[in-house]
Amino acid sequence: MTATAKSASAPPSARPRKPRTGPGAYLAALAVIAITVWAAVGIEFDLSPLWTDLGRGWFIIQEFLQPNWAFIARTVGPWTETLSIALIATTVGCTIGLGMALLASRVTTANPVLYRAAKLFLSVVRSLPDVGYGLLFFALVGAGSLAGILALIMFNIGIIAKLTSETIDAVDRGPLEAADAAGAHALQRARYVVTPSILPNYLSYCLYVLELNIRASVVIGIVGGGGIGATLSVEFARFNYSNVSAIVVLLFVVVFSIDLVSQSIRRRLA
Amino acid sequence: MTAPAARRGASPRPSAPSRTRYTLMQLGLLALIVIAVTVANARWERLAEIPAQSLVYGELMLRGVLQNPFSEPYATYWSDALRLMFESLQIAWIGTVIGALLSFPLAFLAASTVAPRWIVFPTRQCLNIVRAIPELVFAIAIMLPIFGLGPLAGALAIGVGSIGTLGKLTSEAIESVPPGPSEALRAAGASTLQRLRFAVTPQILPEVIAFWLYRFEINIRASAILGILGAGGVGSLLAQVFERRDWERVGITLAVIIIVTIIVDQISGAVRHRVIEGAPTSKRTALV
Amino acid sequence: MISFRDVSVTYPNGTVGLDGVTLEIPAGQFVVVVGLSGAGKSTLIRTINGLVPVTGGELEVDGVRVDGATPRRLRALRSRIGMIFQSFNLVGRVTVLRNVLVGRLHATPLVPSLVGYVRASDREQAFVALERVGIVDKAYVRANQLSGGQQQRVAIARALAQDPAVILADEPVASLDPPTANMVMRDLQRINAELGITTIVNLHFLDLARRYAHRIIGMRAGQVVFDGTPAEADDAVFEHIYGRSLTADDVLTDDLEALESDVPESSHGTSGAGA
Repeated sequence: MTATAKSASAPPSARPRKPRTGPGAYLAALAVIAITVWAAVGIEFDLSPLWTDLGRGWFIIQEFLQPNWAFIARTVGPWTETLSIALIATTVGCTIGLGMALLASRVTTANPVLYRAAKLFLSVVRSLPDVGYGLLFFALVGAGSLAGILALIMFNIGIIAKLTSETIDAVDRGPLEAADAAGAHALQRARYVVTPSILPNYLSYCLYVLELNIRASVVIGIVGGGGIGATLSVEFARFNYSNVSAIVVLLFVVVFSIDLVSQSIRRRLA
Repeated sequence: MTAPAARRGASPRPSAPSRTRYTLMQLGLLALIVIAVTVANARWERLAEIPAQSLVYGELMLRGVLQNPFSEPYATYWSDALRLMFESLQIAWIGTVIGALLSFPLAFLAASTVAPRWIVFPTRQCLNIVRAIPELVFAIAIMLPIFGLGPLAGALAIGVGSIGTLGKLTSEAIESVPPGPSEALRAAGASTLQRLRFAVTPQILPEVIAFWLYRFEINIRASAILGILGAGGVGSLLAQVFERRDWERVGITLAVIIIVTIIVDQISGAVRHRVIEGAPTSKRTALV
Repeated sequence: MISFRDVSVTYPNGTVGLDGVTLEIPAGQFVVVVGLSGAGKSTLIRTINGLVPVTGGELEVDGVRVDGATPRRLRALRSRIGMIFQSFNLVGRVTVLRNVLVGRLHATPLVPSLVGYVRASDREQAFVALERVGIVDKAYVRANQLSGGQQQRVAIARALAQDPAVILADEPVASLDPPTANMVMRDLQRINAELGITTIVNLHFLDLARRYAHRIIGMRAGQVVFDGTPAEADDAVFEHIYGRSLTADDVLTDDLEALESDVPESSHGTSGAGA
């Protein structure tokens, strides 16, 4: 269908010029490449060991591929320890985390000083990896589960508070306005409007943290926090790689099952 | 307020639904926690020592931080910590790049809206397996034996480990994309690859870039952990100074970790917001 | 009992919301405010309960000065003013009863309310409010499982549970289909007549305005350009208020009378499409 004389009355408009891709995108790409090159050089990126030293590693990998299932029976004690550490840390961490989240969101905290202080505190708490807390508490209360529990609690508070406060920030403002219009106090508003609205998300974060705790407790165990991590470290030091892989497989099974459970809970909540 | 409700032929008030199930669940959870506390093998009495001890150590750490950073030996402490922290950043960056590049195509294979079922299922399971294994184990089991001690092993372990989470998040983003644009392209005769490139990818790109940046932030922590095993970065330094109970140096190292992490987090967070919300000027014109 | 004396509202970005409004609204009146979007209807309503702060002039509600009120005094004032919204603003995941109890929050002492304690008297008042709008059988249903009309009725119950002296309604029927919209307006009218609650409603449906109001206030560019009875408000008046000729969008339905005869008196609670 060609344009006919019908459109002759309107003068043909000049075609718009294609807007130039802003310098921002190019600069960003350049920066990314530059950083990657700097980083690769810094860590001496060199994949050649893959083909030269594969033999040395291959032997170890082979042992890993033959897990020693019998060993699992002897790990029941450490596993219960790990699971209970994870559970206690999740409970305490998520409760405190919820409180901090309410403080760290403009929606629930009107006082700007309190809000900024909470955000700063959480930034600092989150900047230390779980292992850092492991070492810290290990020095404070000695090796064992208590150090692991406390370390994970600090780790959890950071994660839960950040995730939950972001959810609170995104909450629908309408019901909040309605509560204000009814004369409710800010705290009542937080408890009766904000908390029910974020509950499904919050619970899924808690389950996510439970999963993370189990995996993190392996790491923490290596630095002295008890549980299955300590066992892993010992077996690794003794070169019992097939035992190590048995533990790892069980770890995978446990994490996978928690994931399934949490998915079904999440589905029921939504 | 008297009740003219009687005039309306009001329905009777419903009775409150039973709460037994909910209460049972709460009791069950409580019981679980009590059991956990008993079998945890923790020496709870040590809790009381924390306030006093932390004051002592905290003061020592603070003293270390507040010393003149240009005088020896503090200058070396600071520069060592910074150098290793940057190495951790490099490890985390390369790891994230590897994870991002490898997870992107895998995510398409794991998305039920893109790939056929018999590809999606195994891909997803592989991603799950990778996700469940802590990077630590990758490092111990595979990378360290092959590549030896050093930051490269750490970067590769983090890279492989990131594929799992990034792959899952990206495939979920792909699946939740509105089908409209893709259908329109298919109607216009585009091939599958073209559809993915022109309809799906632009829609998920901001979100996926945000995932990558968030993963970078997490990987910085992971690289510190791997450092303890000898995979480079600031973790090894941290473990050493803790073991030697060199509290002043501990304070300095922690300070470096905290400050650098916060700065990188802020930058990454700002970039993430900018990517998700688009450049400020375009928003203003849209309102007009 | 609501008196505006040369009230102005200027938003932080410079937009003028209200421009020298002077009004007296006696207790028990049913007022409908009409005007185009941005004309000041929403601003007018929100200044009454302080959701939008007044930047000039004096505003008094039932003897209490709203402009410059402290947060505590504002909360006390708002507890006597109920408000319903275009998008209902219920907490979807929570039961109808809990939503209505939000209206009783001000009267509950702070600490007990934070641990979830609900007084029997408050629960009773909530139920009575639900009965008044005829939706008590849904008391334990999740709010987001109700239809639009039902949700708005719950919102009205929430306002009633406050035992208010004034009810404000910001475009309460804009999201509802014509029969339901009509029913909600009739509920508001009934509550106003039976309980004597001063009612101020924003509407852009002119037929509803003419039908239900005692008094119509027309706003344009932040100023009151019309203030009179529905009888005085013919189409010419509305065109003056809107500054343009009227379109089909400005009325709810071509035949309001037919809609009226469709709706039986005791339709609340069970039957009624979309109710």
